[in-house]
Amino acid sequence: MDTDKIMDCERKRLNKITRFRLPNQFITIGLLIALASILMMFVRAFAMDGETVWLKLLLQKTLLIGMLVMSLSKDKIEDEMTISLRAQSYAIAFIVGVIYALVMPYVEYGVSNVVHSGGEAYKDLGDFQVLLFMLMIQLMFYHTLKRYR
Amino acid sequence: MENTIKVERAILNITQDELAKKIGVSRQTINSIEANRYVPSTVLALKLSELFNKPVNDFFKLSAED
Repeated sequence: MDTDKIMDCERKRLNKITRFRLPNQFITIGLLIALASILMMFVRAFAMDGETVWLKLLLQKTLLIGMLVMSLSKDKIEDEMTISLRAQSYAIAFIVGVIYALVMPYVEYGVSNVVHSGGEAYKDLGDFQVLLFMLMIQLMFYHTLKRYR
Repeated sequence: MENTIKVERAILNITQDELAKKIGVSRQTINSIEANRYVPSTVLALKLSELFNKPVNDFFKLSAED
């Protein structure tokens, strides 16, 4: 196999990965997973006793999975404009997410110092907080861009 | 980019929804193209050209900003 054929094969594989989308029905499945996770988070926080940190971590993961499924689902009518709007929303979510991850720890640190004298020690954001924020921004911007198209 | 798709659609006497179905996009996409908010791809422009039976240049024109 010559170099051109290998490059062509790689290009096709890459295009297949970047164009991957789930069928439209998955938006409902993703929404149900996300809502069930949020509901269970409230149940765990207010109605469960004992050691449930494992459940908290599990629910964080299922919430992210639900939102990712929603994000990857196709629209009822998927055309080049919705593909373009989705790409824009991913770009915005990435940029805003990076800014959030850089700025938010300082905001939290500053606020905690103002509220409690002495304050808390500086700490970075967790992966869940950043990923949740990015997915929220992506979904929100995508639906907003679609509404104003 | 400016276009006269609305005029071409009126000549064929079809609605935005009918045009959208004929070229396989959503009605909102046609609305955005007509309002010059979205510039379609070459594929979509050629589909429109085939439907209107006119060259793309007849209904798409570059504007001063382009």
